[in-house]
Amino acid sequence: MTYTTTAPASGGTAMADFNRTTSRWGQITMIAGLLISVAGPLYLAFASGLDIAPAQLWVAFAAVAATFGIIWIVEPLTYYPVLGPAAMYQAFMIGNISNKLLPAALIAQTNIGAKPGSKRAELAAVIAICGAAAVHLVSLAVFVGLLGSWLISAIPSSLLLVIRLYVLPAVLGAVLVQAIVSMKQPRTTVIALVVSAVVVFGLVPLAPSLTMVSTAITVLGTILLAWFFRAKTAAPGAPVHIE
Amino acid sequence: MHLPLALQPAAGSGSQDVLAVANNPVLWTCVAGVFGVIIIQSVIFLKAARRAAPAVDLSPAEIRTSFRSGAVSAIGPSLAVSLVAVALLGLFGAPAVLSRIGLIGSAAYDVSAAGIAAGSMGAKLGDASYTQSVFAVAFFAMSIGGAMWMLATLILTPVLRRGDAKIRAINPMAMAIVPAAALIGAFACLGLSELPKSGIHVLAFLVSAAVMGLCLLLARMLRKSWLREWGLGFAILGALGAAYLAAGPAVGL
Repeated sequence: MTYTTTAPASGGTAMADFNRTTSRWGQITMIAGLLISVAGPLYLAFASGLDIAPAQLWVAFAAVAATFGIIWIVEPLTYYPVLGPAAMYQAFMIGNISNKLLPAALIAQTNIGAKPGSKRAELAAVIAICGAAAVHLVSLAVFVGLLGSWLISAIPSSLLLVIRLYVLPAVLGAVLVQAIVSMKQPRTTVIALVVSAVVVFGLVPLAPSLTMVSTAITVLGTILLAWFFRAKTAAPGAPVHIE
Repeated sequence: MHLPLALQPAAGSGSQDVLAVANNPVLWTCVAGVFGVIIIQSVIFLKAARRAAPAVDLSPAEIRTSFRSGAVSAIGPSLAVSLVAVALLGLFGAPAVLSRIGLIGSAAYDVSAAGIAAGSMGAKLGDASYTQSVFAVAFFAMSIGGAMWMLATLILTPVLRRGDAKIRAINPMAMAIVPAAALIGAFACLGLSELPKSGIHVLAFLVSAAVMGLCLLLARMLRKSWLREWGLGFAILGALGAAYLAAGPAVGL
């Protein structure tokens, strides 16, 4: 599926109408989703009685941007050829793209025999993502919103304490392995592991004040070294996303 | 006098009852809002696709097949995401988990963003320094991260639709190496930072990594892609189980 040079003309006025509608309403709904999702934490920070200075939010934002800023831009770029313009507005609001939305779109296209890159395939992908979104919203509401909330109130507090204390390493161990395997770049992996080990076990104990920028230092250092020591024959093009 | 956060009395915004603020009704309203926006978007897109369908030879039966295929294939991944989300409920509360990990973002990015944000306040998620204020800043960091993704999509999609050559002219080697280096570097640093905290943190990290590695290996060997989807959920369960057994005496079980 490739949409890099989508011109609305070939599908006739019906496809032009589809492109206009999805582009206008895709933008409106995405801006609405963006504002609502930021409104919650802003309310919490400034209107709920917590004592938080705007500077703390800026520092946190800068720390996250230094780590993931590149990914914010690269991910939409790499997904666009696969998703096409309309599905972009769906995918980046619903989330869990590579593990859920892409398979949904591909299976739908296979089931109706739509040729990748065709207008039929584009419509089938948008419809399939609507179906996936419906299932996802229902399962989240039922299993997380209702059952999950009940579960948290029902389990013993000692178990809840263990979860709170150790869920972070329990997530990050798997996420690191997943990132390494899905990127398929052994050279970059070794560099990243060495740089982060030097930062975490060498730099931070020496200068504890660097703790808050340790991730940013690691990311920057890994990028520079990986670029400097890149294989001259590296095959580009492995998609950049893990979820 | 300046006490480290962990030693400050638990009162006011220093309170450690994170779940009390995490379940604030306003946050639940925002979750409902995000759900609503996605439902409205899906309905509009579905209607638009149905209107355009005859022009590209997509029959009503094929529209139904597409919708059903998408829905059925999303069942497994959705349940896998739900499992991960439930494991994070105790840390972030339902509204943040539903809107961040369940929708918009993903566990990997949002847990990382929260950890980085807490670190920027000199605190750690889940331990005594994790106060209501730290939660609020962490939740803000996760949300603003998701907002930046949406902002990039809003800006780049129209540009890409015009087939702007400048963006595709970016060095393909840089496009392959730089993002991979950023991601692996970020997750490696965040992961290794967990290790000095305690032996049980080391255990949880190693069990989680091992379970995920095993799932990915089996997925490839047996050609069972559902193992890849469920890997994170299984890894979290395994790691928390190991931590529970190891920490049992300390937390009075």
